[in-house]
Amino acid sequence: MAALDPVAFLRSISPFDALPPAAFDEAARALEITFFASGTRLLTRGGTPSEHLYVIRKGAVRIERDGQTLQVLEEGEMFGFTSLISGKATLDVTVEEDLLAYRLPKARFQALLAHAPFAGHFASGLAERLRNSLERSPVASFQPDLGVPVASLLRGPAVRIGEGATVGEAARLMCERAVGSVIVDSAPPGIVTDRDLRQRVLAAGRGPETRVAEIRTAPLRTVPADTPVYEAWRILLDAGMHHLPVVRGEEIVGVLSATDLLKCTAAGPVAVMKRVERLQGRDALPGYGAKVTEMASALFAGGLEPIVIGGFVARLNDTLVGRILRWAEADLGPPPTPYAWMVFGSEGRMEQTLLTDQDNALVWGDDTPAARAYFGALAERANADLQAAGFPRCPGGYMAVNWKAPLAEWEDRFRGWLDSPTPQALLEASILFDFRAAHGALDLAPLDKVVQRARGARTFLAAMAKSALTFQPPGGLMLRLRGDSSRFDLKLKGISPIVFLARVYGLESGARSSNTLERLAAALRAGLIAKDSCETLSEAYRFLLRLRLREQLRMISEGRPPTNVVSLSDFSSSERSRLRDTFRAIEIWQDRASYHYRTDLF
Amino acid sequence: MLWPSPPWDRVVYWALDLETGGLDPRTDAILSAGMVPIRAGAVRLGEAFSTLVRPERADRVDPGSVRAHQLVPDDVRGAPGLDEVLARVDERLREGALLVHQAALDVAFLKRAYRRAGRRWPSPPVVDTVALLLAAAKRARLIDPGAPDQEPELNLLAARRRLGLPDYGQHDALTDAIATAELFLVLRRRLAARTLRDLR
Repeated sequence: MAALDPVAFLRSISPFDALPPAAFDEAARALEITFFASGTRLLTRGGTPSEHLYVIRKGAVRIERDGQTLQVLEEGEMFGFTSLISGKATLDVTVEEDLLAYRLPKARFQALLAHAPFAGHFASGLAERLRNSLERSPVASFQPDLGVPVASLLRGPAVRIGEGATVGEAARLMCERAVGSVIVDSAPPGIVTDRDLRQRVLAAGRGPETRVAEIRTAPLRTVPADTPVYEAWRILLDAGMHHLPVVRGEEIVGVLSATDLLKCTAAGPVAVMKRVERLQGRDALPGYGAKVTEMASALFAGGLEPIVIGGFVARLNDTLVGRILRWAEADLGPPPTPYAWMVFGSEGRMEQTLLTDQDNALVWGDDTPAARAYFGALAERANADLQAAGFPRCPGGYMAVNWKAPLAEWEDRFRGWLDSPTPQALLEASILFDFRAAHGALDLAPLDKVVQRARGARTFLAAMAKSALTFQPPGGLMLRLRGDSSRFDLKLKGISPIVFLARVYGLESGARSSNTLERLAAALRAGLIAKDSCETLSEAYRFLLRLRLREQLRMISEGRPPTNVVSLSDFSSSERSRLRDTFRAIEIWQDRASYHYRTDLF
Repeated sequence: MLWPSPPWDRVVYWALDLETGGLDPRTDAILSAGMVPIRAGAVRLGEAFSTLVRPERADRVDPGSVRAHQLVPDDVRGAPGLDEVLARVDERLREGALLVHQAALDVAFLKRAYRRAGRRWPSPPVVDTVALLLAAAKRARLIDPGAPDQEPELNLLAARRRLGLPDYGQHDALTDAIATAELFLVLRRRLAARTLRDLR
């Protein structure tokens, strides 16, 4: 960045760049400059709220909640606004690297909120900043791809020092090169970190003349350059290390620090995944739901879409179910015939972010009395274990204990729904056609094939469309900030209308996936909907999921069970107007669908 | 016996920088002044004060200095005179300590100006960031005697760079005063100074 004095710097960053000159000048007159050394705790959750909005000029801060790092903020990023808006300190903020920060006093910040573009910047995530702490930085530096090789994160070649050097020389070298560790060229190679200088030199009463050979750690724990980030993340966690040498063949190409990793990823699904894989027994199941919630909130805070989080959650849940089924197999002996564990509902569509009721079923190959007995027992165990892990039993009873049958019977059932779409058949089809195999060796292609037949079953599609249209978004005039209509069910009024109608379009276009966005994309490819409808509806759907997840995480952080009922008054004005646009878009789509499926003829 | 010195962050520091017509306090003009206070450990930009100064006829402006401060006679012709500026500087100096980068030069300029205006120099405690840079270097050597002597950077921009502070525009009195104030905050921490005395 070019030489910018504090005022020019402030002017250059969003949202200060959008302020009218007079308002900006007034803000600039209240600006203060502060410096805090690395390690300083600036804000403590539940402690004194911040009296200032901080803008980072140099250095970095770490945002934490319950010891879990949510984010590392750097130059040009802001913090403290959660305190200013909610009046409470909801996060821990610690200086990660020496911090030069410009800050604006509370009163001045509040005065600036009168300017819509300025307020809008903070309102883009107002509700989650309000009270609950899910910081969502405007310049989130979240890198969702946890599979990239660690080598891509290295900031430069490893800094090295000879075996005969002193710790004083090592310390100077580390300062000069601004690194937290040096590789010692010995046989085998070793490492000296800033922590070693503290613990093994200063605290141990040794002097700067101490030779590095005496205090180095060797041999090294290294990782190959192509190790995925999530694996490196786990190694650092497991080993309690902060510096991880990266090798290509024999050669040390760099050192990855915990800070480098923090900058690239928030608390990841990886740790949860590894936990699940290592679950030793049923005793370890309770707490799984809470872990997933924690992860979802961290990923959401890191800027990930609920749709993407849903993908992570589905993978985790599949791993968990696999684990649970293997325990059941260990209890009951090997299965007499191949089987598959099906999940449906939001989990089948990979749209689940917080754990919801169980929606699962069991299908197996050969129909024998022994198989029926075996899978009855398997379902009992698995449903009970899932409940222990935090998936409540399905009130409608759509669980494997009730829904279990050999493949042939499932095929008949699916066909029956297509051929005679009674209300009960439609209900069951709408639930079960979203199926996905989460575990097991049985090939479900025959079921896919039956579902593919739906594209030609006009009567079935029309009936299904008609039932989908019974979900109606609130009309434009109904949504008022004050009064009884300010509270509404986001799922019933917004999410379900899209999910149900997308299902019909997805079935007609022969989509392989039950994911709502993929169904919309398939409908577009099949020429059933226009490009702009597809884009608008996809965006509307993402927006609704985002609003819901944010509100639910807030409910959880307030100690309430998450529901779908939200209050308009919790949304910012821009969110309210987007919500109205969203409902309007759904209505338009429903009108077209009604015409497309001739639902008026039924 | 030493009397107690106030905690460092209870003191108000007025960071000051002068742009002058040369390096000789006896003959060269003061062309502009910039000041900004540090209160309770934070630099208050809102209270910043800066002004051009109209030189007396006899004051010298070395043509070479114009290259640095970019002030030509026309710029300062309509500016307030030195007396008027000193009155405003003086009320600030009486509030606490004077903070400058390279006190020897700027304080000499100020003292002479005071003398000529018939004012009494208020003798504020002077904190010099150049002295603090030297102290910090000395302290680093004490902690690590094995280190080869590395000359501390005493130039404002270079010293700031070495300490990880951003580049600001140079040779504007107020910007330099702000830059000095920030440098002070970093050095105060480096030196782990607790009282005003630790900083002098």
